[in-house]
Parts: sequence; C-alpha cells; structure tokens
Amino acid sequence: MLIEILQQTINGLAIGGVYVLIALGLTTVFGILGIAHFAHGSVSMFGGYLTFFLVTSQGLPVLAAIPIALVAGFVLGLLIEIVAYRPVRHANHINAFIVALGLTMMVEGINLQLFGHEQIVIPTGLSKVFRLGGVTVPELRIYVIIAAIVLVAAMMLFVERTKTGQAIRAVAENRDAAILMGVNVNSIPLIVFGISTSLGVAAGIMVGALFAIAPGIGEGFVVKGFAVLILGGLGSFPGAILGGTVLGITESIAAGFISSAYKDVIAFVVMILVLLIRPQGLLGRSP
Amino acid sequence: MFNRVKTGAFAALAMAIATASAFAADKKLTIGVADALTGGGAVYGLPQANAVRMAADEINTAGGIKVGSDTYKIDVIAYDDKANPTEATNAVRKLIDRDGVKYILGFCCSGSTSAVASFIGNEKAVMLVGNAAERSITTKKIPNLVRTRPPADFTGQAAGTFIARKGHKRIAVIGALDVGFYAQYVDSVERELKKVGSEIIAREVFTLRDRDMTPQLTKIRALNPDAILVVGYVESAAFVYRQAVELGMNIPRYGFTSGSEEQFLRVTTSAQMEGVWDLRPTELDLLSASKNGIAYHANYTKKYNASPSPSSPYAYDQLYVLKAAIEAAGTVDDTVAVAKAIRALAIPPQVVMQYQPVDGKMFDVNGQAYTSNGAFQWQKGKWVFVEDLPSDAKAYSQFLSTLN
Repeated sequence: MLIEILQQTINGLAIGGVYVLIALGLTTVFGILGIAHFAHGSVSMFGGYLTFFLVTSQGLPVLAAIPIALVAGFVLGLLIEIVAYRPVRHANHINAFIVALGLTMMVEGINLQLFGHEQIVIPTGLSKVFRLGGVTVPELRIYVIIAAIVLVAAMMLFVERTKTGQAIRAVAENRDAAILMGVNVNSIPLIVFGISTSLGVAAGIMVGALFAIAPGIGEGFVVKGFAVLILGGLGSFPGAILGGTVLGITESIAAGFISSAYKDVIAFVVMILVLLIRPQGLLGRSP
Repeated sequence: MFNRVKTGAFAALAMAIATASAFAADKKLTIGVADALTGGGAVYGLPQANAVRMAADEINTAGGIKVGSDTYKIDVIAYDDKANPTEATNAVRKLIDRDGVKYILGFCCSGSTSAVASFIGNEKAVMLVGNAAERSITTKKIPNLVRTRPPADFTGQAAGTFIARKGHKRIAVIGALDVGFYAQYVDSVERELKKVGSEIIAREVFTLRDRDMTPQLTKIRALNPDAILVVGYVESAAFVYRQAVELGMNIPRYGFTSGSEEQFLRVTTSAQMEGVWDLRPTELDLLSASKNGIAYHANYTKKYNASPSPSSPYAYDQLYVLKAAIEAAGTVDDTVAVAKAIRALAIPPQVVMQYQPVDGKMFDVNGQAYTSNGAFQWQKGKWVFVEDLPSDAKAYSQFLSTLN
C-alpha cells in the first residue's frame, strides 16, 4: 500500500509540474494585468509542436531545440501583447475577454494549419527506468520534475531579486504608485507576456515529451491551469506552485484509489472543497 | 451534291458519336464518405477515407461502374464527422440533402455510426459501415445498412479462448470501457476465461483523451495480475504499453486495437512493444494477406506515402461491394434494389479482407459480414501474424439475429 501511494505520488508529480508551469504563466498575466489569457494552453502547445518540428524535421538535438522554442515563445508572447491585448488595455474588461477567446481559436487554427491534425510525441531518446524499492521512475519524468523545479526557482528569483521583477510586483500591487515611482508601466506587460509564454512553452514541451500533443489538448490544460489558479489563490506564485502540485498528485491518487473514470471530476471536487473552507484559495490573501 | 450530303451525314454521325461519348463520359456517381478525418478517431477514419478514394480511382481507371449501356465514373465527397454523433448526423444530412448522395461509406467509429444508423432507415440511401464495431449497429435489421467489419464480441470470444489457452488465471483489463463495443469485447473475453476458471480482476478505464495511464497501471500492478488486456484506440493503447514498461510491469500484454506499426511507433519504441499481442479480426497484414492485400498495401503506400492502417480495407472493400451490387441491380437510382443486391452478393473477387461467407453470401441476414480473427504479435518492430483464432461466423450470425 505504501509503495502504491509513493508510486502514485511520483506519477502525479510530473503532471503536477506541468500544471504549475501553466498556472504560473496564467497567474502572472492575471495577477498583473487582470487578463484571463485563455489562449495560454494553445500557445503552450505551439511550443511543443515547434520543438517537435525542430527535432524531427530540422534534425536538431532536443537540448538545442528547447532553448530555441523558449526564445520563440518569449517573442510570441511579446507579439500577443502588442497585437492582441495592448489595443484593448484601457477598454472594458469584456473586450480583453473576447480577445482572449478569439486568440484561442486563432492559435488553435494556426497550430492545425502548420502542424496538422496528427498527434505528435517529441522524441527524446530517454527510455531508462530507475527502480528504488518497489517504486519505478522513468528517466524522462525525473528530468521533467527537475526542469519544472529549476524553472519555478528561476521565476521566483527573477520576481523577488531583480529590479524588473520588483517593478512587475509593484505594478501588480498598485499601478498608480508604480508610475509615481518611475516604473515604465508600458514595458511591464511585454515582459510579463514574454515570460508567461516561455513558461507555457516549457510546459508544452513537457507534455509533448511525456504524453502527446494534438489539436484540442491545450484547452484541457488551460482549464486545469485556471483550476490551479483558483485552488492556490488568484495572483499568488506560491499558491500556483502548491495548487499545481496538489492537483497533479490528487488526480493520480484519485485515479489509483477511487476511480480512474472520474479522475478529473475528483480533482475538481477537491478544488471545490478547498474553496469551501478557504474561499481565497490555499495561499491567497483574504479580500 | 451527293458528296456534300454524304459529308454532311458523316459529320452528323461523327458529332453524334462524339456527343454520345461525351455524354457517357459525363455520367458521374457521387459517393459520400462520412468519417473521422481529424481528432482521436482519425487514426481509423482518415485511412478509410483514403482507401475509398483509392478504390474509386482504381474503378474509374478500369472503366467505371457499368449499368446497362451506361458507365459511371465515381466522384467521392468526404466529410469529417470527428467521430462525433452530432457531427456525423450533420455530415450525412449534408450528403443526402445538399449533395444528393445516395451511397454513404466510411464510418470508423461506433458512437457516430450509431447516430446515423438511427435514422438512415428512413432515407433513400444506402449506408456501408466500416471499422465501427458496436454490435447494435447490425441488430436493428435496417435494410439499407450493411457492415464489413465483424462486431467486437465476435472477435472477443475468439480472443478469450486464446488468452485462456495461455493459462493465465488473473487478467487485468484497462481500456476505453465506456465505449460500448470495447466493453462487449471484454465481456466476451470474460465469458471464455470463466469456462477455464480464470478471471478478470480489474477493469480500469481511460478516456479517449487520456495520455497518462500510470495511475491506473500502478493500481493494476499492485494487484499482481498474470497478464493485462488493453482495449482502446491505438494512441491510448500505445501509451498503456509504453507506461506499463516504464512501471516495470513485465507480464504478457494482450490488446484489441488494430493499429499499424507506424501508428504505435509514434508513441512507443519497438523495444517497449516487443511481445505485445493484438487479438483482432484478421485485417491487413502482409504475412497473412492475400494477393489483393499485398497489392492494396503497395498501392496505398505509393499513393499516400504512408502505410495503410490494418482496418482501412474495410472501407476499400465497401466500394467494390457497392460496384458489384449496382451492376447486379442494374440501377444507380433505385437504392432499395441496390441494398437488396448487396445482401445477395457473393464475396467480390477484388476485396482485401478475408471474409467468411454465411450461406454463400458476403453479408448475413442482418447485413453483417465476417472476417476471420487472428492473433498478431509484435516481433522486432512489426506485427507478425501468428495464428488464426477459430470463429464460427454462422453460429454468431444466428445469435445476432436473436438480438434487437
């Protein structure tokens, strides 16, 4: 029983890491700009597709393709901010909402046109399996978990320790005060979208390597990302990290010990239960 | 004067011949295909649509369909039903109402096919079902519907006998068990296992969109089964096979998937697949294929630059069945006569699958065709036909007739 619980926890950690990265991107955009960026899932999957293309069609090694995809993700994030969201920045919130929905359909369509309807799996060549007692961990999952930890740590360091990070937090706390303090509030949304999209691309690469990417997959991940956002507390970075990990492990344990047929339902029931006790989410601030 | 008249007469005759030939060449029979061209079902639907187009090209090149003195060239319109009942209904309605199509082929997936089957009996059209394996599609006695693939439980019975013979006592099942025909397959397997005192100890479910099966497999691993049985679409099944190895499950793996090597290798490695059994209708496999099957494989690969999926000839065969029936009925307009002619057909010589006739006919009274079943094993990068799984088409046909 203990081995089974351990195994399910490890199973859940890898997918939890993906949820964390998706949610971090969403929470950054939502917390700072107040935009529910629904296209984040499709943009993430674009990163996975791009990596697959670079590896299979251009013959690049995976380790070379990943940084290129991350940079491409950053640039795509900038473009999304400039072309899609900047024009409606000062408009009613509903405008940004509609833009987000339209953008989702557009990116899905672009993915379909560029990469086709076939399911793709990013070839990594990592097929070793490590065994510790009765627990087995595939090599690829270990790398995914490590990569997720490194990216989250880098993001935290950036936000907490750098001047730009402090500026981002300042805008999130009080935009007017940030302007008075000399923060260039026009460049903040650009940086936020760039970083957020890069994180999403990293998540897309992980999904493509661990599982598969296919049309429509991104929508499922963005729904989970928003669930994590709510579970962890809107706009809270530590909340997104905790929420994503809890959701991943809960799904795995629920499928293993209750029923695999209701895996998603059970995860959302847990989310609702948490919100009943803490309406602000696990680490969110009380209004 | 006489010469002028003669010249004029010749010119008129030549014009008449030219017009007549042009007229004959203009005769066109539009065939509809409703199938999953995108989404999860596309692994079956897209090769089926390709197979119909290929058969149409072959028939057109060979002169078309001959009806009395007329020759019809086939034109194919294919719509994507995404394996979704609503989309399939819309696609078929569009084919019948807007495009005026009378013959509809394809139909890889059971949910979408069942939705169309529920109303096709009221239409002046003939529906030929391919890969969709849900039993109830041919239990409703719909006169204008036939199916080239045998129902899943026909195959499940033979598969259960095979697994039981291997001596496994405790078998764990993982699959898309919320899909009717997969559940029917497993029920048939279970009935055969019980006869020898074996049992199914777990029935774990995944949905068509699931790609992480490790929670279910971890649960199965803790039960310590002698073997696992995987029933589901190729992509999901491929993840089960891969992740079972990653979880260190070194036990025999049986499946019911009908995926090609290419489709599996997009997800798994050949080493992870080694030894896996696929217990399914004896579909396209180069080791077991007839001359037609070998030619089909070569032509398809050349035309589409990809290997055909094992189940794709169900759709290819549909068009040759239709051709034979239209020629026998002597009409393209009278769909009732063509539907009757299909039921009366002997197996056409051009078909690829190896059908078992019932009372000398390709389709039984339910409109159901039967192929033999086979045990295929993954050996060094490809599916190898190992043995035939004995199946009694006539007995099953009688059983099918008793169902509603």
